[in-house]
Amino acid sequence: MSLARFLHWLSETGFSATLRESTWVEPIFETVHVLTLTLFLGFSVLLDLRLLGVVLRRRRVSEVLAQLNPWLFAGFAVMIVTGVLLFCGDPVAFYSTIFFRVKMIMLVSAGLNVLVFNWTVGRRVVEWDQGLSTPMGAKVAAILSLVLWVGIIAAGRGIAYALPPP
Amino acid sequence: MSELSALAKAFCQWCSNSFFGHGVRNSVWLFPSIEIIHLLALGVLGGTILIINLRLLGVRFRNEPVSDLARELQPWMISSLAVMLVSGFFLFASEAEKMYGNSAFRAKMASLALAIVFTFTLYRKVTLSEETQMSPVWNSVAALISLVLWTGVGLAGRAIGYV
Repeated sequence: MSLARFLHWLSETGFSATLRESTWVEPIFETVHVLTLTLFLGFSVLLDLRLLGVVLRRRRVSEVLAQLNPWLFAGFAVMIVTGVLLFCGDPVAFYSTIFFRVKMIMLVSAGLNVLVFNWTVGRRVVEWDQGLSTPMGAKVAAILSLVLWVGIIAAGRGIAYALPPP
Repeated sequence: MSELSALAKAFCQWCSNSFFGHGVRNSVWLFPSIEIIHLLALGVLGGTILIINLRLLGVRFRNEPVSDLARELQPWMISSLAVMLVSGFFLFASEAEKMYGNSAFRAKMASLALAIVFTFTLYRKVTLSEETQMSPVWNSVAALISLVLWTGVGLAGRAIGYV
């Protein structure tokens, strides 16, 4: 089945119709999606700033990672669940906007950035997290992450403007 | 109409008719761009407040003194709050006359005023005091009040578009 046909099929399901026609689904999921930014985006940005050596400098990177990661992942899970549900309410319209496509590409890139960090410089974190400055690889990962998240927020807002009003 | 609400209404009209009110309203890109800045600052403000509150509740950074963590995060909290206030003001100005009658907007401003006053008085006292001077109960109470007030601001903010 092609992607277009799958999205069309999804939009015709009773599940999608229920999400779309409910008065409360969109405001509630949208509100949770936006307010969870405090947890997910906030913690990610602080982590990136730690990797750049500008915040929480006196704490070891491994300690900051250990303290923030569980909450960051929980926030990410909430973002994904609410985001998928919002998408399922009107998959064809979402997919037709350029903002949605750009947002998905940037999301995957942000994920790859985390994986590459964990496989390379992040794997050796105990070797360098005592020092005053962080290695170049960590700084590059942090800047990439910050740029991608700014883009993802911007594209996310773009979707709201591009979609037909509910 | 009381004098205070007449004053608020006049202020809203002035904002709406000002050059920045006009400018944001008549531009296709300004409103969404300012909104993006508002949201990014929301992430940082919310993130710093959450970390301090999680520490006050003893859930995260348990080995760190509260005051150390709060002192380090404070500049980020204050600057992201400033960005939110300035960007929020421009968003407001473009729709100021509509906002005057918007009950969610009023609720947001009331809870925002409460949250700011609380954050810079009692909350500040609890987070920046030396560990031994404060009973841990006050840490939890302060964290819960902070969470309730800021969540209220966020929820009322979301509601502005729906009422």
